[in-house]
Amino acid sequence: MIENEITRQAVELCLLVLVLLLLPASYRVFRGPESEDRFLAVDLITTLLIGIIVMLALIEGTSVFVDMAIALAAFAFIGTISIARFLSETIN
Amino acid sequence: MPLLELLGIAALTFGAFFCAVGVLGVIRLPNTLSRLHASGKVATLGVFGLLVGTGLLMPALTFRLIALGLFILLTSPVASHAIAAAVLWRDQTVAELDRAHEAPLPEQQPAYGVTARINRHRFEEILEAQERVRQQRAQQAQKRQD
Repeated sequence: MIENEITRQAVELCLLVLVLLLLPASYRVFRGPESEDRFLAVDLITTLLIGIIVMLALIEGTSVFVDMAIALAAFAFIGTISIARFLSETIN
Repeated sequence: MPLLELLGIAALTFGAFFCAVGVLGVIRLPNTLSRLHASGKVATLGVFGLLVGTGLLMPALTFRLIALGLFILLTSPVASHAIAAAVLWRDQTVAELDRAHEAPLPEQQPAYGVTARINRHRFEEILEAQERVRQQRAQQAQKRQD
């Protein structure tokens, strides 16, 4: 836990910025002209989610959230590699 | 307010700023490889700034954060390389299709309208073009070995 009030507000502001960034990133998911663009934006959203979970660990003061972030990073890596392999063998 | 907390807040602001810059680049840049370049900045500078800030504000989490940072450092370039290989494969196949038809569409913006150009060709032609690109790559690999 964070004792200082100013520090806490700064951390919550960073968390708010990261959560608001999810919206423009999902714009690229819906709009992207090619399937690689949508896929890239989904990968970007996963990266942002890792950041959000780390900020939540900072606010809650527990280490479980960092373990969650490590698990999310691992599963995102597997998914990214498999979908990229799929896209590089077929069109659309 | 101690110095460590100030440094932590500075690192968190750095990370959030680079996340914003990366998302802005993914929205605004014109083609897929440039967008890939922008999203790589989020994975390295953005998340690493957040990790350093978290480690400075809460030293009890340092070991887990180092593990997460090392994992991202290992996996993020591999993922970016896989996506770039997919984009390159698509572009080469489409260029091969246009060469086969000898009537290329006007090249206004290379990454836009690829789907439209692919829909003009039949599925068998797409498969043939993919096979031709595969053979070209095999020949290039053999040349490199010789």
